[in-house]
Amino acid sequence: MSQDIHFDEIIGRYKSDPYEYVDMHAIHAGIVRFLVSKNDEVEGPSGEWKHIPGSGLYEIVRERNTKVVSSKTNGTISELQKGLNGKFVESGEKLLTIRHPLKKKEIIEGILQEVLSLFEAPERAKYYFAMDIQSQIESKGARSVFIKPGDEIFTMSLMKRDTPVYYTGEPGIIHSVYFKPGESMDQGAPLIGVCAKDKLPLIQKIITRVKAEWE
Amino acid sequence: MTLSNATIQSLVRSPSFACYRKDFSVDIQEKILRYGAPVGSRLECHHSLGRCMDRLREMIHEAELSNTVLESGTVVMASRLSKSSGRFERYWHAPEGGLWLAISLADVLLPEFNRLLPFCIGVACCQAVRMYGVEASLKWVNDVHLQGQKIAGVLSETIRSQVRGERYHLIGIGININNTTFPGELQNSAVSLSQLTGKTHTIENFALKLLAHLTWALGLLHFQEEEALKQSLSTNVAPVLSVWRNLSDSVGKKVVYGFDVQQKPLYGAIVETVDDDGGLVMRLADGHLITEHSGEIQYLDP
Repeated sequence: MSQDIHFDEIIGRYKSDPYEYVDMHAIHAGIVRFLVSKNDEVEGPSGEWKHIPGSGLYEIVRERNTKVVSSKTNGTISELQKGLNGKFVESGEKLLTIRHPLKKKEIIEGILQEVLSLFEAPERAKYYFAMDIQSQIESKGARSVFIKPGDEIFTMSLMKRDTPVYYTGEPGIIHSVYFKPGESMDQGAPLIGVCAKDKLPLIQKIITRVKAEWE
Repeated sequence: MTLSNATIQSLVRSPSFACYRKDFSVDIQEKILRYGAPVGSRLECHHSLGRCMDRLREMIHEAELSNTVLESGTVVMASRLSKSSGRFERYWHAPEGGLWLAISLADVLLPEFNRLLPFCIGVACCQAVRMYGVEASLKWVNDVHLQGQKIAGVLSETIRSQVRGERYHLIGIGININNTTFPGELQNSAVSLSQLTGKTHTIENFALKLLAHLTWALGLLHFQEEEALKQSLSTNVAPVLSVWRNLSDSVGKKVVYGFDVQQKPLYGAIVETVDDDGGLVMRLADGHLITEHSGEIQYLDP
C-alpha cells in the first residue's frame, strides 16, 4: 500500500465523475437480444434476500435455451452495442455499460479499496470467519485482528462442503469486512480489506477527508 | 467376502452393477472404472475411534513426515466413534452396529467439478441403501432418508496438509445399519436399515457395496470433467447430477432454508429444481425464485 495518496487527484476524479461504470459481458456464447435501450434507467436486485431480479438487460439463446441476464445495480444504460442485437456473440463480449451513481459510502469504500489490500472470494460460495479469527473479532473488534500469509481466515461453504481459506495478501489488520457470515459472495468479490497497522492513521485520514468533502 | 480394493473392483465390474454401466460403451466403462479405482486403495479398520476424519488427518501427516503422500482413496472405518459430530458441531450418534467411515481423496478436480463431489457421495450412499430394497431418497445435498427419517449423513471438508500444503477432500459417511436405538432428540428423525428391512445386515458387505458405488460415482465425475475439458459433452453421457436428480425427492417439497437451518432458519419456500451447477432453486412466497449453493433445507411435508 502506498503512503503517497494523492487526495486531491482522487477526490477530484470522484467529484468530476461520481459514477461507477459497470460493463456487462455475454455470460456465454449465443444469440443476444437487448431488453433495454441507451439511456434507459435500470434497477438492481431487491427483496429481503435480494432475490427479486433487477431490470432485464439482455437475453441470450444457446441451443434453444434462453437466459435473461438482469442488472446487478441501479443506474443508466450509458453504452449499448446496438449492432449486436440479434447477432451471435462469443462468451465475454462486451454488450453494454451501466452508469451507476455512487453514494458517499460507496465513494469512501471505492477510495479505500484503492489503498487497502483486498482479499477476494476464490469461488462463488458462502463464507464465514475461521473460529479463531471470529473469536478475536468478537473480543477485540476486526480492526485489532492481525493476519499474515498462511493464516486460516475463512471457511468457505459450498454444497455442504467446508474448505478452509488461507490468507495470501500483505500482513496487516482487518480494516474492512465486505460480507456477512453465510451470505453468498460472487467469485472475485472482495471479502476483507487489510492494511498494515501503521497505515491505520492514513486510512482514517482518507475517511475524514472524503466525509468532509461530501458534506 | 473380505473388504479390499480388489473386492470393490470385482463388485463394481460384476453383473449386479450392470444396470449402472449399461449406458456407456465398454471403453468408457473402463475409463470410468479406472478413474474410480483408487477408492479403498488402502483400508484401515478399527474397533473404536474418536473420529475417522481425525485418523485420516493423522495419516496424511504421518505420510508427509515420512516423505510420502497418503494414497488417494484411503478409507478408515470404525465400529463405533466416541467423538463423532456432524456439521456445525452437531451431535452424531455413532454406536456399534452402524457403518462409520471416512475417505480421503486428493484434490485433483477443477473447482466446478469439486462442487459436485458432495452429490457424488450422496448418490453412492443412496444407491447402496437401495440395494437392500429400501426406496431411500436424497434430500439436497446428500442426506439419505426415507419419509423424513435419516438413514445416512455425510460430512465433507477440504483440508490443506500441514507440511506440504497439499489439499485433500475428507469425506465422513455415517450410515445407520443395525443400530436401532437413538438418543431422544433423534428418535423421530433417524432410522436404521435393519429397522426398515426387519433384518440385520453384515456391515462389511454394506461397506463393500457403498465403496463400489463410490468407485462408479467418482469415476463418473472424473469422466464428466474430462468430457467437459474436451468440450464434447454429449447427450448419452449421464452426468452425476442427472443420476442425483433421479434419486432425489427434493423437487416440489415445501421446505425451510437456512445456512444452519436448525439454529437459524431463514425462509420458507418450495423447491423448484436443482440447476446444472447443483444449486437449489426455490420459489418464495412472493413468487420469485431464489438459488442457493450452500446451506441446508428441512422438509415441511413428510
